[in-house]
Amino acid sequence: MLIRVTVNTVVYEREVKENRTLLRFLREDLGLTGTKEGCGAGECGACTVFLNGKTVNSCMVLAVEADGGVVQTIEGEAQEGMLSALQAAFEAHGAVQCGFCTAGMIMSARQLIHNNPHPTKEEIQEGLEGNFCRCTGYEQIIEAILDVTGQVQEKEELRYV
Amino acid sequence: MYETLDRSVLKSVGKSEIRPDARVKLTGEAGYVSDMVLPGMLYAQVKKSPHARARILSIDTSKAEALPGVRAVLTGAELDYRLGLYIVDKYILAKGEVRHYGEAVAAVAAETLQIARKAVDLIEVVYEVLPPVLSHMDARKEDAPLVHPDLGSYQYIKAVFTPIPNTNIANWTKLRKGDVEQGFAESDYIVEREYDNPSVQHVPMETHVAIVTWGSGDKVTIYTSAQSPFTVRNLFCNTFSLPLCNVRVVIPYVGGGFGGKAGIHIEPLTACLSKKAGGRPVKFQATREEEFSLLPCRSALTYHIKTGVTKEGKILAQKMEMYWDAGAYADYAVNVTRASGYSASGPYEIPNAWVDAYTLYTNKPYGTAYRGFGHVEFHWGIERHMDLVAKTVGMDRVAFRKLNALKEGSITLTGEKITKHSGDVVACLDAVAASIGYGKLSKEERQRQKDTGWKIGKGVAMLQKAPAMPSNTATASVVKMNSDGTVSVNVGLTDIGQGSSAALAQIVAERLGFEYKKVFVKIEKDTDSDPYDWQTVASKGLIMSGNACILACEDLLRKGYAVASHVLKASVDDLAHDGEGVYVKHDSENRIEWPQIAIGYAYPDGKAIGGPLIGVGSYIAQGLSNLDKETGQGKPALDWTFGAHGIICEVNPRTGEYNIRKIASAFDVGKVVNPQLLRGQIVGGMLQGLGTAMCEGYIFDTQGHLLNPSFTDNKIPTSKDLPFEIETIAVENSQIDGPYGARGVAEHPMISVAPALGNALFEAVGADLVHMPIRSEDVWRAMGDKTPIDNWITKSPIGSCRSDLVYKKEDASKHGID
Amino acid sequence: MIVEFSYKGPTSESTLLELLSDTSRKAKLLAGGTDLLVGIRGGVYKPDLVLDLKKIPEYQKLVLGEDHALTIGPAVTINEILSNKVVQQYHPLLCACAKDLASYQIRNRATVVGNIVNASPCSDMAPALLCLDATITIASVRGKREVAIGEFFTGVKKTVLEKDELVTAVHVPASSASANGVYRKLKRIQGHDLGIVGVAVAQVQGKLRIAVSSAAPTPVVTKPLDGTLSVEALLKEVDSIISPISDVRCSQEYRRFMVLEYTKYLLREVTSC
Repeated sequence: MLIRVTVNTVVYEREVKENRTLLRFLREDLGLTGTKEGCGAGECGACTVFLNGKTVNSCMVLAVEADGGVVQTIEGEAQEGMLSALQAAFEAHGAVQCGFCTAGMIMSARQLIHNNPHPTKEEIQEGLEGNFCRCTGYEQIIEAILDVTGQVQEKEELRYV
Repeated sequence: MYETLDRSVLKSVGKSEIRPDARVKLTGEAGYVSDMVLPGMLYAQVKKSPHARARILSIDTSKAEALPGVRAVLTGAELDYRLGLYIVDKYILAKGEVRHYGEAVAAVAAETLQIARKAVDLIEVVYEVLPPVLSHMDARKEDAPLVHPDLGSYQYIKAVFTPIPNTNIANWTKLRKGDVEQGFAESDYIVEREYDNPSVQHVPMETHVAIVTWGSGDKVTIYTSAQSPFTVRNLFCNTFSLPLCNVRVVIPYVGGGFGGKAGIHIEPLTACLSKKAGGRPVKFQATREEEFSLLPCRSALTYHIKTGVTKEGKILAQKMEMYWDAGAYADYAVNVTRASGYSASGPYEIPNAWVDAYTLYTNKPYGTAYRGFGHVEFHWGIERHMDLVAKTVGMDRVAFRKLNALKEGSITLTGEKITKHSGDVVACLDAVAASIGYGKLSKEERQRQKDTGWKIGKGVAMLQKAPAMPSNTATASVVKMNSDGTVSVNVGLTDIGQGSSAALAQIVAERLGFEYKKVFVKIEKDTDSDPYDWQTVASKGLIMSGNACILACEDLLRKGYAVASHVLKASVDDLAHDGEGVYVKHDSENRIEWPQIAIGYAYPDGKAIGGPLIGVGSYIAQGLSNLDKETGQGKPALDWTFGAHGIICEVNPRTGEYNIRKIASAFDVGKVVNPQLLRGQIVGGMLQGLGTAMCEGYIFDTQGHLLNPSFTDNKIPTSKDLPFEIETIAVENSQIDGPYGARGVAEHPMISVAPALGNALFEAVGADLVHMPIRSEDVWRAMGDKTPIDNWITKSPIGSCRSDLVYKKEDASKHGID
Repeated sequence: MIVEFSYKGPTSESTLLELLSDTSRKAKLLAGGTDLLVGIRGGVYKPDLVLDLKKIPEYQKLVLGEDHALTIGPAVTINEILSNKVVQQYHPLLCACAKDLASYQIRNRATVVGNIVNASPCSDMAPALLCLDATITIASVRGKREVAIGEFFTGVKKTVLEKDELVTAVHVPASSASANGVYRKLKRIQGHDLGIVGVAVAQVQGKLRIAVSSAAPTPVVTKPLDGTLSVEALLKEVDSIISPISDVRCSQEYRRFMVLEYTKYLLREVTSC
């Protein structure tokens, strides 16, 4: 089936098989490999992208469903080589380790901030619930989001004894 | 490595420098093997055993071979190669018999993933199902089926391991110190109990994936998501009898490892498919379900501890029996057994000790290295047990620990003397105990108990771990100056997310006196161009590669000074340098900038000297020895990193539901190289430890089918599972041979989280748990002295609430969507 | 087998019903896909035709009726329910259950109707809809029919739906609006997880309704109970409607115990509202 999808403001027309997921379409047909597959079953959130303004697990969306739609992926987050404020906060707070969950995490954080410009720690935890991270323990990710939303009170730090 | 260095003014070490790989990971530019496609690449799929133990009567691949687009089909019959890290016991594809659920029996490479999946479905395997041995405790019995009847004929590393032919014992590690019977006789109390934990999956977010090209002339190129490029190359070449220089292993960005990617796994099979397909590149990536059973897990453990203690609380003797569940193949489990055996008491001085640690084969997915290398599992037992012993003696649990802890002058199980440079476990314990307000409830906490009806408890647990590695473990570093005065560094150590590329750059920057941003440690690893490193495991990277980097910097400086001394017409002894160049100490105007000599110096008349400034540093572990096979005495430890956790939990005393209010974690890291990275390791490891403590574990039915091979029923902690409050604490007692005094801490944050929780739960509601993970139902059962739940190998019928019935009935690799 | 299917996204109900009436085809309906695509991936479903119902405009509608009755179309997502002010105000139990359903990005796709049609014993939306006496509109080329939600589930993943039928709406009656209701779900972790058990308690028109998920082959609900009954009597009613089993998530014994514990807890909550 021929589909027409706008991804990060670029319009793509591609012939896809009906059983192709949006995730594989992005990664393999468009070469946008920043979005990752962690489980293929909608559990881990590594494949999170925006479809028509809302975050979805792209492994659980058919590419044909995106026909006529607008998709945003991690490749659209930085502008002209400059990290977005959200990305920069992740970098500054050590919120990245292996990096495999990072793209999905940024997408969910972006959605959260869009819905709620000043989320509490608890609301951030709710918002990121669908994105597994096995490395960081989430804490520095949460701190990055608190920071980028202008809510850093006291910086959490290592204590020396 | 630290005493000779000036540590008075550190410019880079000790600072939260930004890791160099963060940016490309944040933009999606970082390339992982999962993301790679090579020209002409084929896709592999694997046919897996639905049985735990069965004889393969026949495999019919004719339909698969006839499918258009299929380029190679393999079965075990064609592959006479065996693999094994320490005991060579595993065929690349099962031959004759399958030994665990999910084991590979046949494989296909095809033009597309879809065709490969179809082809695998078309392969018909006829099995004769055999009774499996599932519990490792049953595997010890005389009448147990033998998982490896030919164990006696297998090759193994004789200096270190002891398999027992005609049994299921893959290894028996012994340790004898003093006289335990005498110690028990002199004790006032004998405290004896058994503790256990199930197999657990690592869950790296990127599943195992490799792309292999077996080219003409037996030149092989392997792109793989692995931890240790040189180990992959070494084991690969051992298996196929190839010269090391024929095989190139490339590791780009890696989406997590946690030990699961330490050895060699899918690379040989993928290589054989490439060879059969005429040398086309072949890619194989495990599905999440395959990650649970085709690939290895962490071994289950049953740990029996018998402690003799005086009424004053001094431990006199301890007998420790460990039964490790290797699963179907020995892989790392035999070495986990060894490393745990010599560390079995945890950070306590035991004057009379006896350890028997066994690795037992069973018909389950096999065990491999996992963050902590056995220490997460056995500290569960030891640190629950120490609470029990303290309670028996009637002593405060912290005071009891301090009395018996390893400290300066103590002798470890293997006969090593602890010095003031070994680190201070008591300082860690004191720090966490203070942080959680151990020993009493605050006014707010008492009020909270009243308001909620939930009981608050506080628990502590200590921990220790040394790198488990061969006595001759070695590494190297190459520090290359670029013509603009920046520096590029090559090491064989892989940054799988732990941040070594930042920490090593800081060490190089510090030793050279350069700005951090002028130093770049190459992330992608390539055995053809990077210097040797044994493995990225064991929390040894910072010490060993850090030292190699320092040596390489010194070599580079020596070479730079040699050129500068000619140019500046001064003796090398009179030279000094800064980040910009080399100068004469007593005449600092007389200087030459690094870019002028970085790739050789040209005099005004055109004549040139020097050449590219490249410093090389090699480092090998010093003073370690193999352990005596009868007594376990010797020196196995490059360094010990000590630590402790304290937990405040609150428990519903009726239902067993609980929350973690606070966790405090302290480690004696010698010297903090990067506080932010250290905090990331501590919090990340702590939460992975909580996953192990709270919910993770394999559940099998009585036929050996894995019932929870996915995230549906094998949960890992999410952002909502963080404790309400987290404190991370560093203690700094310098490691005498560590870079700037630092020692490793990558695995340690995961260790002893579970027993700290178990101890807190006991304190809160008296639930005396001996099995982890601790689910609310386990607490409820323990509170009510009810029989423990029968799962892990469950007799429960598969219930109607299960959402993934399909995985029971069918091959888990079947995918309907592309 | 590897499933290959064709995909159609009709824009009118009549076309959809027509396509669905061709029972020679193995058609599956696609709304949020969060159960369907997991099922196809796992080999549970092997459709040859996937019918996307999201393009039918009336199916996307969440209709707020008189006296705050609700009509939820089959393409209405869980997050649309959660972000609707009227639903928040007048149907707190619906929101409480919706909030506990999976993760945010799943809720962006998953639909209320899909959660019902999937007929999992651990459905999160069923306890609310059972308490609130929802009715379900079922359509086919043969016509429309209404079924009370209590009659809808017939077994594990089984419903009264015929092959050519689909659910075109769930109605929450005005009589259930403003009902006090609370939900509690026992999970293995704090994060998103399928329920070990789920209990909903609501006060509807002076009567108590108690619904339970994951403790019987289908989600179940008590008959309307007199609020003046003793707690013991209420618990006895609940105990009589459940038939829990042991599985990888927990034992039968603990399931039963927790259903009753949560019921007690929620009864206190709801009566203090």
